[in-house]
Amino acid sequence: MPETTTCACGGTVTEEQMSKQLDAVLAEYKSKPGALIPVLQTAQTMFGYLPDPVVRKIARELDKSYSEVAGVVGFYSFFSRYPRGAYLVRVCLGTACYVRGGNEVLSAMKKALGIDIGQTTPDRVFSLDIGRCFGACGLAPVIMVNQDVHQRVKPAKVGDILALYRAKSKEEIHK
Amino acid sequence: MKDLKPITSAAELANLRDSLAKDSEAAQKKIPYRILVCTGGGCLASGSLAVKDALELELVKQDCKDRAVIVATGCLGPCVIGPVVLIAPDGVFYQNVTPQDAAEIVSSHIKGKKIVERLVVTEGASAKPVPLQNDIAFFKRQTKIVLRNCGIIDPLDLSQYIARDGYAGLAKALSMKPEAVIDEMLASGLRGRGGAGFPTGLKWKFTAKAPGDVKYVLCNADEGDPGAFMDRSVLEGDPHSVIEGMTVAAHAVGSHQGYVYVRAEYPLAVERLGIALVQARKAGLLGKNILGTGFSFDLEIRMGSGAFVCGEETALMTSIEGNRGEPRTRPPFPAVKGLWGKPTLLNNVETYANVGAILVKGAQWYASFGTEKSKGTKVFALAGAVKNTGLVEVPVGTTLGELIYDIGGGIRNNKNFKAAQIGGPSGGCIPKQHLNVPLDYDSLNKLGAIMGSGGLIVMDDDSCMVDIARYFIEFVQEESCGKCVPCRVGTKRMLEILNRICEGNGVEGDVERLIELGEQIKDTALCGLGQCGPNPVLSTIRYFRHEYDAHIRDKHCEAGVCAGLVRAPCQSACPAGVDIPGFVALTGEKRYAEALRLHRQRNPFASVCARVCFHTCEFKCRRASLDNAVSIRGIKRFMADQEIVVQVPEVRENETNAKRKIAIVGAGPAGLSCAYFLARLGYRPTVLEAEPRPGGMLVQTIPSYRLPREVLAREVRMIEHMGTKIITGKRMGKNFTLASLKDDGYEAVFVGVGAQKPVMLGVPGETGEGVVEALAFLREYNLKGSVPVGKKVVVVGGGNAAVDAARTAVRLGAKSVSILYRRTREEMPAYAEEIEEAQQEGVSLTLLTAPVEILTTNGKVSGIKCRPMHLGEFDSSGRRRPEADQGSDFVLEADQVIAAIGQRVNTTEVFDGISLELTSYNTLAANHATGQTSVSWVFAGGDAVSGPSSVVEAIAAGERAAAGIDRMFTGENHAFWREEQQVATSYDPDADPVPYPREKMPLIGADRRKNNFDEVEQSWTESVSVRQAKRCLRCDFGKKTAHERR
Repeated sequence: MPETTTCACGGTVTEEQMSKQLDAVLAEYKSKPGALIPVLQTAQTMFGYLPDPVVRKIARELDKSYSEVAGVVGFYSFFSRYPRGAYLVRVCLGTACYVRGGNEVLSAMKKALGIDIGQTTPDRVFSLDIGRCFGACGLAPVIMVNQDVHQRVKPAKVGDILALYRAKSKEEIHK
Repeated sequence: MKDLKPITSAAELANLRDSLAKDSEAAQKKIPYRILVCTGGGCLASGSLAVKDALELELVKQDCKDRAVIVATGCLGPCVIGPVVLIAPDGVFYQNVTPQDAAEIVSSHIKGKKIVERLVVTEGASAKPVPLQNDIAFFKRQTKIVLRNCGIIDPLDLSQYIARDGYAGLAKALSMKPEAVIDEMLASGLRGRGGAGFPTGLKWKFTAKAPGDVKYVLCNADEGDPGAFMDRSVLEGDPHSVIEGMTVAAHAVGSHQGYVYVRAEYPLAVERLGIALVQARKAGLLGKNILGTGFSFDLEIRMGSGAFVCGEETALMTSIEGNRGEPRTRPPFPAVKGLWGKPTLLNNVETYANVGAILVKGAQWYASFGTEKSKGTKVFALAGAVKNTGLVEVPVGTTLGELIYDIGGGIRNNKNFKAAQIGGPSGGCIPKQHLNVPLDYDSLNKLGAIMGSGGLIVMDDDSCMVDIARYFIEFVQEESCGKCVPCRVGTKRMLEILNRICEGNGVEGDVERLIELGEQIKDTALCGLGQCGPNPVLSTIRYFRHEYDAHIRDKHCEAGVCAGLVRAPCQSACPAGVDIPGFVALTGEKRYAEALRLHRQRNPFASVCARVCFHTCEFKCRRASLDNAVSIRGIKRFMADQEIVVQVPEVRENETNAKRKIAIVGAGPAGLSCAYFLARLGYRPTVLEAEPRPGGMLVQTIPSYRLPREVLAREVRMIEHMGTKIITGKRMGKNFTLASLKDDGYEAVFVGVGAQKPVMLGVPGETGEGVVEALAFLREYNLKGSVPVGKKVVVVGGGNAAVDAARTAVRLGAKSVSILYRRTREEMPAYAEEIEEAQQEGVSLTLLTAPVEILTTNGKVSGIKCRPMHLGEFDSSGRRRPEADQGSDFVLEADQVIAAIGQRVNTTEVFDGISLELTSYNTLAANHATGQTSVSWVFAGGDAVSGPSSVVEAIAAGERAAAGIDRMFTGENHAFWREEQQVATSYDPDADPVPYPREKMPLIGADRRKNNFDEVEQSWTESVSVRQAKRCLRCDFGKKTAHERR
């Protein structure tokens, strides 16, 4: 029985399918110097996280030891070895956001989602993380939900923002 | 956007530019308007794409396609008022534009040539509309070189870049020898804009000279410093300027391959840079045989993966190579051995963005900006508590004060500037006494900060500097790659110490340990991240040591930030530490007697403070982030007005204490408060007062229309009834001395004599008849019931004494009263509402004016010669110093001049015989926690120690001294009132805050009040008071602070 794993979009991908998608990426980068990180980035975007079989395959194909690749994955905060929610909520705690009340926004977000930093809601809709500056300091405090920046967030408004994405995720499922 | 055909020579590029310029002129004749919509990161987040779409739609709908085109530009700068729109060629600037505004912009401005007034920027207290971009203070002081195209061109249209001399610098460079290009860079004086400020030309020279066939040119776009976003804006708003700069550099150092390392948090920058790379290649400006010269150079984008340390140059290269982004030791420097072991040039985005402009306009032109050692301009990202946040570019050497006040518009919500953090986690803070510092590399280094990337976070009184230091060390600790021990372990130890200080568990010696650790890490860490990591801690210790001490010794966080020390920010801000959420909640439940007793646990003068306190508590109220602060003073007023039976909190009778002889000198708020708290411990102090009535400033100078005498008398009587004896008409230095008190058997003396010595104007004519000092004027009226008043009165000064004197003069029949002040109204130390009420009563303000001479006729005052002033540089208090204008002196007619420019402590007459140590400000030196002076049995507090300050500060000092005196006698702490009590009131933490807005206190009309001394401010009704009390967010709910845990 093939090992299955869940990707960010909520569907399931078999190891075989994954392997195929990866082949194309590896073919593009294999000859380039310093290919490991771009390959990992692409793989993470494709699957939402880096499942172990993917990490092993990348190591094999790029002729690197598993431990070296795992070391790189562990070093950078953008790589995740575990599945994440469809929406990654990152509350900025950069300096500007911090002095303008980012911590209060984070507390409100934790309360609203019922999870702590680094965790994912049981329905896999949201993951919560902190950010270190998205360069929108003029509009602090900000949060980033996937690629959308929400500015001047007040703790009281956190619920409204989440509702927006919750509705979106329901739509996606209906589709 | 159509692609350009390959350009095969410099001449072709120049022709193209000329023809593009002609085209655009012709286009402008056909289509008169260009609507520039900012699509920089900030405005995008504010919804500028929807604005752009709405404008497109309106142009079609209103049939205006032939009158205007829309250009989506990069960052225009002022993020806080985004989305912003600029209409060219008029130069009219619109702020906070919503999609709903699109129709009016098109119909009014594009069709009707009429400015949409409601969308233009307004400035100053009068909200003067400033429609033109070039007139707006935020823009007019800027010089844009790096940001020359940002906000003007469509970043995705290469032809617009070329039309503005784009790639002309590259064409010129390719016609020069590499050495000549390097010489040009050296002559320009450009220094690296990423942090340390190494001369760019020198770096290029080293890389060019390094032996090797293969060399790399790298661009550091891993803008990781929280608070900096200029690189992001350049990449998003003008990506070709970076490509051009890098290609020039490649030619200069002999490289054919480059990489741009962009952080992953900037997806839009990656996208736009990617598009620009494709365009440049197709146009023959990148890749093989650039501009037909045979020179080849290509670029690749590499994305970061969320590791701050990769902004360090060696770590960045290790990361591009595909490894964990750990730094390595230098030397060898990258110029010799960099990426894949080859000579490598690395500069950041902002540095490269300068290069094209320098080559086109020349090194001399560039070097004409800036200071002697730091040339050119620097982009700063203004953020934090400043009004106009956003991106600004100014000549290097512009002062911090200009940046924050002239361009930044000052501090938000009229709070006070505390410090600016510059250079991110590697930098330091600059406090208000250094607002005049020129922003250049060397001046900042001297103050313990660095230019860094140019992120500038402005902080007001709401920021706790210990917490800020903790925040940065936590950041560095989390981002430490772990390779070297000083950074990995050292910052962890520093963080542990800072955490315990912020939690209220700091111990003596912690600050010294932080300094020692910090210095060691600086000396021994492997890379810049670690070496600079302790900077924020060391610099906050350097300038804000007193905050560290307060956290460690008093377990007090002045800013109300550190959760472990702060039950509620209002309570923390109250000098007397009154349980504000407690009495507010009790008032909300109509339990007025309990509320009053709770208030009097820490402050006996509930009724007095309900009228005269300057309520620092309200400035810290968290409700302000929702709508407006809770009106704490208004609630207190209603609570105190309900007192029928005098409410005295717990008094602990004590026979031993009752036998002690304690004298209190001065029956002002400090002395009476000291007596009150001593009485609660069972002592029976004697208060000696020089004037005929007790109350000090409360009775002598604060007019009765602000504080009715019966209100004060009631609380003074309460203190008397608790076992305090008040003897009036006894003046120290005349009727007794400290030495004679000792001889009379007093074991402890509290000195609360205030600051009563007037400061005179120091101008000719001030001895003339009709010149009077404000305190003397007020005292005479308040104690004797009458005082001579002129017809035309001029009061000199801007504090509360000046306003009190002016309003008293109005009430006593002066025909005209004018307050003369040398700064502006914003700088007046008097309470804003007092000034407003004075104006309603007919007092006029003559601002930015200083007296130079008092004119007299036959020895009597006839006028006052005045000189107009303007605000110049910043003084050590962070205020702008008034400076005299030349000429144009004028005369104000006056028959009475009241000087209200300050008071000092009268030290010489009073302390005859006993020498108490004085501070450098010539006030009494006393221990902050106990009030003990250099003579062990003498304690002091109030204005005599602090200099002229507030009633509540004096009350707090009296309380501390009472506890200090008791501790001297008993060796123990018996201040039982300091223990926090949880009051049982109903509160639902999950309920939404009540929606009622803040209510103002009712005032008696100006006509009805200006001829008498009736109380001006009135109390609310019960229903209003209860509703207002319910607005409290109960920050204290479920909190336990270090005080309680002890």
